[in-house]
Amino acid sequence: MSMVLELGGVRSGYGTTEVLHGVDLRVPRGTAVALLGANGAGKTTLLRTVAGLTPTRAGRILFQGAPVEHSSAHQRARAGISLVPEGRGIFRRLTVRENLLIQAGSKRADEAVAKATAFFPKLGQRLNQEAGTLSGGEQQMLALAGSLVTDADLVLADELSVGLAPIVVDEIFAALEALRAEGRSMLIVEQYVDRVLGLADYVYILHKGTVVFVGEPARCAADDIFERYLGSVA
Amino acid sequence: MKSYLPFVVIGLTTGSVYAIAAMGLVVTYSTSGVFNFAHGAVGMVGAFAFYSLTVDAGLPMGLSIPIAVLVVGPALGVVIDRVLFRRLHGTGAATYVVVSLGLLVVLQALAVAIYGPETRQMDPIFPRWTYQLPGVRVGIDQTMLVIIAALSGAALLAFFRFTRLGLYTRAVVGDPELAELKRLNSAGITRFSWMLGSSFAALAGVLLTPTLGLDSIVLTGLVIQAFAAAVVGKLTSIPKTYLGAIGLGVAASLATKLVASRPALSGLPNSLPFFILFGILVLSPKGSFPEILKAVAAPVRSRAVRAGAPRFPGALLVAAAAAAALAPAVLSGSQLFTATSVLAFVLIFSSLSLLLGLSRQISLAHAVFVVFGATTVAHLQHAGVPYLVALLAGGLIVLPVGAVLAIPAVRLSGLFLALATFAFGVLAQSLLFGTELMFGRAGIVHISRPELFGFSLGSDRAFYYFVLAVVAAGVVAVETVRVTRLGRVLRGLGDSVPATESLGVNPVVSRVLIFCLAGFLAAIAGGLEGTLTSSVNPISFGFFQSLLWVTVLVTGGMASLGGSILAALLLVAVPSVFTSPTVLDWLPVGFGAAAIVLAQTPNGLAGLVRLPDFSALATASRWRLDNLRGQERIAGAAQAGAVQ
Repeated sequence: MSMVLELGGVRSGYGTTEVLHGVDLRVPRGTAVALLGANGAGKTTLLRTVAGLTPTRAGRILFQGAPVEHSSAHQRARAGISLVPEGRGIFRRLTVRENLLIQAGSKRADEAVAKATAFFPKLGQRLNQEAGTLSGGEQQMLALAGSLVTDADLVLADELSVGLAPIVVDEIFAALEALRAEGRSMLIVEQYVDRVLGLADYVYILHKGTVVFVGEPARCAADDIFERYLGSVA
Repeated sequence: MKSYLPFVVIGLTTGSVYAIAAMGLVVTYSTSGVFNFAHGAVGMVGAFAFYSLTVDAGLPMGLSIPIAVLVVGPALGVVIDRVLFRRLHGTGAATYVVVSLGLLVVLQALAVAIYGPETRQMDPIFPRWTYQLPGVRVGIDQTMLVIIAALSGAALLAFFRFTRLGLYTRAVVGDPELAELKRLNSAGITRFSWMLGSSFAALAGVLLTPTLGLDSIVLTGLVIQAFAAAVVGKLTSIPKTYLGAIGLGVAASLATKLVASRPALSGLPNSLPFFILFGILVLSPKGSFPEILKAVAAPVRSRAVRAGAPRFPGALLVAAAAAAALAPAVLSGSQLFTATSVLAFVLIFSSLSLLLGLSRQISLAHAVFVVFGATTVAHLQHAGVPYLVALLAGGLIVLPVGAVLAIPAVRLSGLFLALATFAFGVLAQSLLFGTELMFGRAGIVHISRPELFGFSLGSDRAFYYFVLAVVAAGVVAVETVRVTRLGRVLRGLGDSVPATESLGVNPVVSRVLIFCLAGFLAAIAGGLEGTLTSSVNPISFGFFQSLLWVTVLVTGGMASLGGSILAALLLVAVPSVFTSPTVLDWLPVGFGAAAIVLAQTPNGLAGLVRLPDFSALATASRWRLDNLRGQERIAGAAQAGAVQ
């Protein structure tokens, strides 16, 4: 199976603090990989490092087989890595349409708007509204629409469901399913462990900056893996 | 009514030029988060390039103007972005202010060093015809300026509203990191906005040159009136900035007409923009001016800064005082004069370091305190008040001034405090320095050497020791503040206001106190310096000095006594030892450049030449000694075991 993303011995962190102490991780093409771990385990740092927002201090990051650890964030985004960051990944002062235009890149702007609004009809009613005035769920849909309208091969999703009503979370997960149906590969950090396990093909568990478990969802439910690393989550 | 129309026309014209400069400022500030104090200096460089290309190289204006505006301006913008500001990413607002001030001083001093201080004249750009509108004659040149400003404003708006690059720029303004994730090259777009903003500055400089003449200080100073217009637009709105600039231009021009018969208010029209700047910053609801740039925990690149509270520099103080006490033995007349001046400046820098180094508040009005101190001593001495009382009164009279400056200090952070104090400094100079109250009718005040308790300070040596005693007392006060509770509170406030407030500390009290203390000491030092030079005029302590002092103190070191002493030596002793004009011309360039380089260091040059910390060394070697003894014991025990 070919790998979309391959991390080998990746170290990264902020200032004098190292957060990731040599992480190995692989995302096979067309699969969804769940990345779990307690607070402070380094999940967000891992996604930021892959996207290029946090510099890689050591190790290799291969995207589609090519090393990207020295590329800047926008170069990686152009290559096909799409991070939906934690919080709300939108430009609050721009309108919904402008947000979609930026996400669509240089060409086929109308097509992109059509695709996004077809998937999230609510956005279609608010195209000329400032994105910061949308509800939390709509903002997250707009952020996710960025990955939909581009041809990004790898979607990195960081805690998309934080602070959203359960019914909105359903829509977000439906969108993730749709992305996978299109053949995109995904690396997902998520607090709703049950739901993400339903979606994921593989699970990685991160503990204090190192990978402590790799396997299929069924296997990690069987072991006492959650109790050991996530506390009482599952 | 009709008599006002010509002033409206003049106001529209000057307002238009401010508008061009101010819109450029807004473009760079809103994309990069960096408020460029050197924006006017960039315009000045554009104007000088225009002059050199036209007059020296003989190019026609049709060629020299586009080169100055579209090549020189943008090129300077790229250099500023690339070399100065990008490497500062993640540091606090104070660092950015210091670096852009350093740039201002460098460009300004470079212009003087290369072109000389005299004002040069240029031929007008536009024809001198006039035409008649109802009630007023209008010049073609005036019309052209208004049209150019309106067109560039409209073009800028259209760029942001309708073009793809404009949209991308707005995205970078909103969130540079997210823009990167959306495949935008944030750094490249920020660089472009620096090119755009600097180009606007250069255009304003070029347009001002024929009317104002080519004078580096005037050009740097006049374009900074655009600061006020930019603040009207909250530093982000281009239409509001444009209208603000036009409004300011018209208001200032009408004020000229109104105060024509009242000489006491003659400073008002020119200072109107600074009134507005200070007023808006101080009176707007708290939180109206949030910083765009957020300081993030950046990796410490140089060697680790040793943590720990500052200690009272007893040894340095004793050594410096001893050296200063012995100095007159080896110094001759003029050298002694310089040494006395160095002492006074040690106190000035020491008091400035309370604001800059201790509480990380940039005050750009320090010269105002010094001037107040000097003029008060002069006036009171003439009125027959004993010298010591006059000196003390000079210090006390600035307490209300310090309190006034503390208002923005309480309400505003980093950049905006610097802007407010800057406005205050210019205001004080243009409104008060010209009045009889400050410098009398002659524009200069005299102070004679006093007699204390029947002992004359007329001799240079006697006065030197008097100054030494006063400065030593002041420095001890500053160093005491640094190590006491007030110092700790201020350092805490410099780090995080909410965190300090949550400990039950009232930030208002400590900030008012520190501004008053800094002002008091600076005014005393001003009184001493004025007595030394025996006369004070408004030129010796203009607002540019306040800016220069900040760069010198950053160079010397703003966090310790050693830094203040070093700064005083650099500013006063170096030019009197090396008196060649080349040195004098290039020294400010050096200060500005050094401030740019050292802005990120905690304590300037003084922090680089660190005395060994003997107590720490002793602790370390004691540990090593214990370790060694332990090893000997183990080795001994092992040997004993082997023998058995």
